[in-house]
Amino acid sequence: MSVERRRVAGQAVQRRDLFEKVTGAATYTVDVTPPGCLHAKVVRSSRAHARILGIETSAALAVPGVIAVVTASDLAALFPRFGHIIPDHAILAMEKVRYYGEPVALVVAENIVAASDGAEAVQVRYEDLPAAMDAEAALAPDAPILHDDDYGASGDESFSEMAATPGLPDHGDSPPRTNVAHTVDLSWGDVDAALAQAHIVVENRVHYPMLYAYAMEPYNAVASFTEDSLHVVSSAQHPFMVRTDLARIFSLPLSRVRVQVPYLGGGYGSKSYTKIEPLAAVGAWVVRQPVKLVLDVEEAIYTTRADSAAITVRSGFDAEGRILARAFDIVLDSGAYADNSPLVLAKAVNRCFGPYRVPNLRVRGRSVYTNTSPASSYRGFGAPQGALAGETNLDRAAAQLGIDPVEIRRRNLVPPGGEILPGKRGIDADLPADLELVAESLQRDARTVPGHGIGVACTASDAGAYPISTAIVRVQTDGSVTVLSGSTEMGQGSRSVLAQLVAEELGVPIEAVDVVQSDTAMSSYERTTGASRTTTLVGLAVQRACADARAKLTEMAAEIEQCPPESLAQGDGVLESADGRKLAFGDIISRWFGGDAGEVTGVGTLRRDGRTQKMPPFWEVGMVGVEVGIDPETGVVRVDQLVTVADVGFAFNPKAVEGQDLGAATQGLGGALFEELVYDGPQLVNPNMVEYRVPRMTDLADKIESIVVERGDGVGPYGAKGGGEGALNPMGAAVANAVAMATGKWPSRLPLTPERVWRLVNDLPEVDAE
Amino acid sequence: MVLPPFALHRPTTTAQALSLLAEDSVPYSGGTELLLAMRMGLIRPTALVDLKRIPEMQEIRTDRSRLLIGAGVSHDRLATDPLVEQHARLLAAAEREVGNARVRAQGSIGGNICFGEPRSDVATVLIALEAELGLANSAGERSVPAEEFFLGPYWTARDATELLTAISIPLPCAEGVYLKFQTVERPTVAVAAVRRPGGDYRVVVGAVGEVPVWADYPGVGEVDPVDLVGRTSPVSDLTGSERYKRHVTEVYIRRAAELLAESER
Ligand SMILES: Cc1cc2nc3c(=O)[nH]c(=O)nc-3n(C[C@H](O)[C@H](O)[C@H](O)COP(=O)(O)OP(=O)(O)OC[C@H]3O[C@@H](n4cnc5c(N)ncnc54)[C@H](O)[C@@H]3O)c2cc1C
Repeated sequence: MSVERRRVAGQAVQRRDLFEKVTGAATYTVDVTPPGCLHAKVVRSSRAHARILGIETSAALAVPGVIAVVTASDLAALFPRFGHIIPDHAILAMEKVRYYGEPVALVVAENIVAASDGAEAVQVRYEDLPAAMDAEAALAPDAPILHDDDYGASGDESFSEMAATPGLPDHGDSPPRTNVAHTVDLSWGDVDAALAQAHIVVENRVHYPMLYAYAMEPYNAVASFTEDSLHVVSSAQHPFMVRTDLARIFSLPLSRVRVQVPYLGGGYGSKSYTKIEPLAAVGAWVVRQPVKLVLDVEEAIYTTRADSAAITVRSGFDAEGRILARAFDIVLDSGAYADNSPLVLAKAVNRCFGPYRVPNLRVRGRSVYTNTSPASSYRGFGAPQGALAGETNLDRAAAQLGIDPVEIRRRNLVPPGGEILPGKRGIDADLPADLELVAESLQRDARTVPGHGIGVACTASDAGAYPISTAIVRVQTDGSVTVLSGSTEMGQGSRSVLAQLVAEELGVPIEAVDVVQSDTAMSSYERTTGASRTTTLVGLAVQRACADARAKLTEMAAEIEQCPPESLAQGDGVLESADGRKLAFGDIISRWFGGDAGEVTGVGTLRRDGRTQKMPPFWEVGMVGVEVGIDPETGVVRVDQLVTVADVGFAFNPKAVEGQDLGAATQGLGGALFEELVYDGPQLVNPNMVEYRVPRMTDLADKIESIVVERGDGVGPYGAKGGGEGALNPMGAAVANAVAMATGKWPSRLPLTPERVWRLVNDLPEVDAE
Repeated sequence: MVLPPFALHRPTTTAQALSLLAEDSVPYSGGTELLLAMRMGLIRPTALVDLKRIPEMQEIRTDRSRLLIGAGVSHDRLATDPLVEQHARLLAAAEREVGNARVRAQGSIGGNICFGEPRSDVATVLIALEAELGLANSAGERSVPAEEFFLGPYWTARDATELLTAISIPLPCAEGVYLKFQTVERPTVAVAAVRRPGGDYRVVVGAVGEVPVWADYPGVGEVDPVDLVGRTSPVSDLTGSERYKRHVTEVYIRRAAELLAESER
């Protein structure tokens, strides 16, 4: 199957934001300072787990320029917490702190120096409580309990629908109280019986590291109240979700909360849902002046990180390597507050066993509170964690059975249309064909020398999140078009893609299309910008808005031309009358309204029906292969080849697809080889850009091939489906598999730092005994 | 964190600069270390004495038997300057790999040395090249061999009222190899192995311990990695455990010596 080439869609158009961003002219939240703006600094907990005995603010208030010190006691009239699934997250710590770095007070001052000095002058008295610094400690029988309250979980239908097993999240509220924030179980068939009959049973346990998404822009927010309305400018991926949390905090109607998002300096999931907007907003609420809050990188790391995971997997295979049963036990270290971790867990559960025919399955997932920085969404959503377990397990089986790692996948991958999750949408991709592309490319350049190894890994993610989108298309009297969408431009290039789509649908030049995004007061509603959904789901809403605009234009033209609407043919930016005259959109509008004025508004909506009835809206493919070379003396892993398949159905902008694909693969390489947040006692050792090591240009593979595959098999416009996180998901597993092949030893813990690989090669323990 | 307020002096001669220095009035060159330390609240000087407008601190020149480098010269310039390339290739090579492009453009050789950060490429190379460091205060000038300058982490032979004015490298310059093992912003282990002008050999091991260590050998075949490793004082950190660091140090000493031997064949 191939796709039709089009006039604008499918072309590598230049990004809309290119010059603005390269020249520094682009506006980010940090650039926004309204008149009369005050500046805030957060006083953060210096303890992992402690009762707050008192907060002494007088010295801070005496600092010249300090206007107010806001603490939890000032929030009595408000709903003092947020959290879209479990509203457990205190805006400012109440009674106790649950992690080092938790906001305890907010100092508002005339300038940032005064705010900082004020923050240093705030004295907090604590009584230390025993802390649970990792999931194992938090699950121990006598573990200190982080949350004593029952917060009441959200009954949002969309949340339960995105987990494979329906039902409300169970946040562990039945006594005795534990640190389990959330559990998700998934099973079918009879795993025990199948394992008992298996030719071989392969078991292993893996650890996926605690990561930080490293958006270049940390979290920033500017809040102001006018009359009874709240206006927040923020670095949020999902402004409409943030609006809901803010409306609940201040008991405001949704229409009186405006969340506006300028350009984002990257997100990678870390800016989804509410972060520091409530802090800035309560500051503005107390002082009744605009308040700006800008975090540095260390503060951002203590705001959100990714869930680390410990996963045990057992799989049974027949003699030919066909999967008979798989059982997973997943424990996520979700930090002090649930945030989006329940959903990350649900996705880890859905994704861990891979896009394979698994006749018998049992997955047990737990998201665990610990006294660490709260975890939430991160590009891949539980898939990288699960894939490390499932895909290394598959390679172990292949080795035991003497089957090639590519071959064992061939024998197990679901065919096009095949079901991965019972009752859900079948796979809208040809995974076996994608696998061959990776295998061929790797083989072509493989070096069969000692110390070298090849690794492949596959994932398929139930992506797209919940299909709720709206879009508005406004056709102007000069034929130009304004598009309103609530989706966020966060570097992924959605502004350009949506412009391409409108130019294509209406047949107008792309230069005539302007896209306005992410303002809850001024743009249309969008549920989220995440799960690789914008091109596909927002695309469908925009496509429908274009159709609506054309329908309205046709009605208007029929009225002014006094002809039946059916007699008008649709053309590029025009309607054609039966006698061959071209009626330009702008002229139709001017003539219909009279007086060279007016506009036509096309509205498009998307919900769970028709082609987006079945969940997930689409599957996102992750199919990668790497070749590594290892220095046996130092353990340094060098990536020689990186091959990815971007199976996106239809590539609106092939260059952008490649950029997203390689970006995702490179981010995955970070977690595979370099990145890890490390706690030593209550605090992180490396919450900064120098010691938290992200991939660099020099780490990139010598050969990089991103194969863009277009089979038109997606649910979106022209057969498109999502891309942008797929290649991240299997990267850790692929690298681990390649290292295993190169060394003959099975790694179980990422990142594969030189020392870890050296210890692996030399059969040394992970750490030396003291 | 926010940079606390301070006064900024901008002298144009070394003498002016010296008259402005005091315990809480400190030299300021590229600021790549100083301003970070101030932001982190580690130091809070009341005044900074900016050295960037003192022309002689920016000079690179030779006088018959020495290469003279002003303390304010940036890493970038050292990496590309023809005189340095001609007379001190090892320094030029090491400078090309210091930190990242921004640090190389902004940071100075003097700031690198005076900060006394143990993981300095520059310190290792200057000891290999037997550089002399020129120090001055209002009372006069003195010269300290690089071997004696680095006393401990963030601790050097420089007195608070002294300025490092210039680095002086004897010519002809020792030649050899510089190898480093680096996984993050700064090296884990750095090894300079050189043939000295007198015909014997010196191996300097830097970055891995609190201060660089070195040994001289009559022949390159006599380099003893195990003995040299024994003199270092590695500590476990994110880049490796003590055990691992000792191991890679040994590997890198051996590799540097082998490369040097090969280059002479
Ligand atoms: C991210 C990063 C990575 C780095 N990586 C490396 C690396 O790989 N290898 C390496 O060797 N180095 C590395 N460095 C260190 C870098 O080389 C130094 O930061 C830089 O050279 C310091 O010079 P500066 O002019 O900015 O010093 P400043 O920050 O201006 O000063 C540093 C200190 O020296 C004092 N000082 C400065 N000049 C003089 C003088 N003439 N006389 C007396 N005192 C003086 C100052 O008072 C201050 O205490 C790295 C630094 C950073 C920030």
